[in-house]
Amino acid sequence: MGQDVFEITINAVKMVAIFLLMVQLVPVLVWVERRGSAFIQNRFGPNRVGPLGLTQLLADAVKFLFKEEYIPNGANRLLFYGAPVMALVPGALAFGSLPLSMPIKIEPFSISILGMSIATTKAYTFAFQSFDIGIGIVFVLGVSSLGAYALLMAGWSSNNKYSLYGALRASAQMISYELALGLSLVGVLLLYNTFTFSEMINLQQGPLTINVMGAVKEISFLPNWGIFFQPLGAIILFSAMFAETNRLPFDLPEAEAELVAGYHTAYGGLKMLMFYIGEYGHMLVASGLMVTFYFGGYNLPLIDSAQVVEHFVGHGLSANAAAVMGALALFVVFLAKVLVFLWIFIWVRWSLPRFRYDQLMDLGWKTMLPWALANTIVTAVVILVLRNKWVH
Amino acid sequence: MSPLVIILALGVFVAIFGIALVYVSSLLGPRQPQSQMKLTPYECGLEGERREDTKISVNFYLTAILFILFDIEIIFMYPWAVAFGDYLSAGNGVYIFAVMAVFLAIFIFGLIWEIKSKALEWE
Amino acid sequence: MENSLLFYVLSTLIVLFSFGMLVAANPVFSALFLALTMVGLAGLFFHLEAYFIAGVQLIVYAGAVMVLFVMVLMLFDLKKEIAPFSRGTLAGFVKLVCAGALFGLIIGAAKHSTEMMMITPEQAASQSGYAVEMKALATLLFTKYLLAFEVLGVLLLLIAVGVVAVSRAKGGTHVRS
Repeated sequence: MGQDVFEITINAVKMVAIFLLMVQLVPVLVWVERRGSAFIQNRFGPNRVGPLGLTQLLADAVKFLFKEEYIPNGANRLLFYGAPVMALVPGALAFGSLPLSMPIKIEPFSISILGMSIATTKAYTFAFQSFDIGIGIVFVLGVSSLGAYALLMAGWSSNNKYSLYGALRASAQMISYELALGLSLVGVLLLYNTFTFSEMINLQQGPLTINVMGAVKEISFLPNWGIFFQPLGAIILFSAMFAETNRLPFDLPEAEAELVAGYHTAYGGLKMLMFYIGEYGHMLVASGLMVTFYFGGYNLPLIDSAQVVEHFVGHGLSANAAAVMGALALFVVFLAKVLVFLWIFIWVRWSLPRFRYDQLMDLGWKTMLPWALANTIVTAVVILVLRNKWVH
Repeated sequence: MSPLVIILALGVFVAIFGIALVYVSSLLGPRQPQSQMKLTPYECGLEGERREDTKISVNFYLTAILFILFDIEIIFMYPWAVAFGDYLSAGNGVYIFAVMAVFLAIFIFGLIWEIKSKALEWE
Repeated sequence: MENSLLFYVLSTLIVLFSFGMLVAANPVFSALFLALTMVGLAGLFFHLEAYFIAGVQLIVYAGAVMVLFVMVLMLFDLKKEIAPFSRGTLAGFVKLVCAGALFGLIIGAAKHSTEMMMITPEQAASQSGYAVEMKALATLLFTKYLLAFEVLGVLLLLIAVGVVAVSRAKGGTHVRS
């Protein structure tokens, strides 16, 4: 019974903490986006409120809270209020399944007061993620395909043709690019032969290892990251992610010259903010997936996670403290890698112009899908030739 | 503890969080008596038209259905890709490759046909 | 205890959602209820430790229901045609017959399929949940049901051709040019 309560508490705390981490990253990203766009366009950006304009976010939050409540005539109330809530869920679920750092293995230790041992804990492994789910990739794909419903609900319930067109464009574009995205993942699966994120990360430890017909060749100065085996897949996946998150250059659903603000035209205040949380949540998941598939996950290049723990033990920490410190250090590494990709998202948004709608669909169906197919076939052929046991 | 419990709990938690946000903002925001004009569906300065006139291109529907068909084909590649390694180490790599090669040939034929038939053209 | 509780919660939700889908007057709500039913079914598959099928259920059916959603938006003049669509003796009769036929089909298929995907206890003990399922699935799919698998590819192609043809056809009041 004590163990049950303990597990429930741990899991609940992890769940809430990781969700809040995602929500808390959003204001930071908004700040980075504003300052970054200002930097790119040679302006100042928000710099009046607080140091570097950082407290502008607080001011914005208060402003959002006190916005007028507005619901257009003829709108469907249930769906109108439900859509922003629905926009939060997929991102949060997908983010919860990503491993943010290595699991912390706690050895049994005894708790003692005044020299008297009162209890001995059991060995326990904390996974640094909300839930560890074997079919990681399929789960994330499935959950994020639910994201389109929030847009359709918002677009239909607003009783407004701009919203409806925006929602339809958004869903058509999301499903079109989901094909290229899903197909580019086949290359990843062929490479690692697993759906589980933590196994993929473990496979990317150590120096770059190439297995040619049983002869193993090591390149000692490069990490064993997926990007060296799947460069084309990585590019296709990352580009498709831009379309999935509805960001420039694929932000046709919000093309202000044609559609005002797309599916959230009729929304304001906190409800609009929730759509933004959903969008940034998608970006976080996308960056996390890129890091996990192609850039070694939470691991430092060329350094195994076990070595990090040993390093902390070498500095005189106990085994348990070293495990915790190691996991925290690798969590910082993961965040740093993710932030690089988030910055690329922002950078691209302020550098490239928007596509026309037919160009967008052509790119998805006639360019990226065939290239993803080619990537799959080439990967399969190469792996077949190099790794097959030709002689029984 | 089954991950399903955590997933359901997380979903419920996020939903409650979202509903609380929507509720709080509806409590705090001012509710002046709004003019009827303000409540009409948004239109760029003109009087709004009726929504029933909104026509939706058949292309959206076509795209959606073609998406499902291709998506199902892609889903079938997932177990194949994961099992590929096992078949390779058992020496059956050529067999499993040939199985998917036939399937992929049909897939590619379908894709080329769709592109040639101009079903994916948007005007 | 925890297991059976979860099962009852999920199946109650599924039944409620599918009932909602049937009685909702507005086709948009019907589509959304159907989506919820599919999500519930995915949860049930997950609970039965068929993890991959659960994921596929989410990916494929979430997309499929979205198609319905779009079709509803496209075909129905929602303000006027809700009533004729969902009421009336003939429509009700057709719905009942279709539901009955589908029910019979599913029961028949379940009764006649004697061979199921069997996972031996040894396999289950040696590997973690989903890996066993994946390997058993892949082995069945690519050896025993190979022909069905390849024919499925052709079938999907035929559907694609049919969809394009139907969307091109200018029937009814339109004159074919």
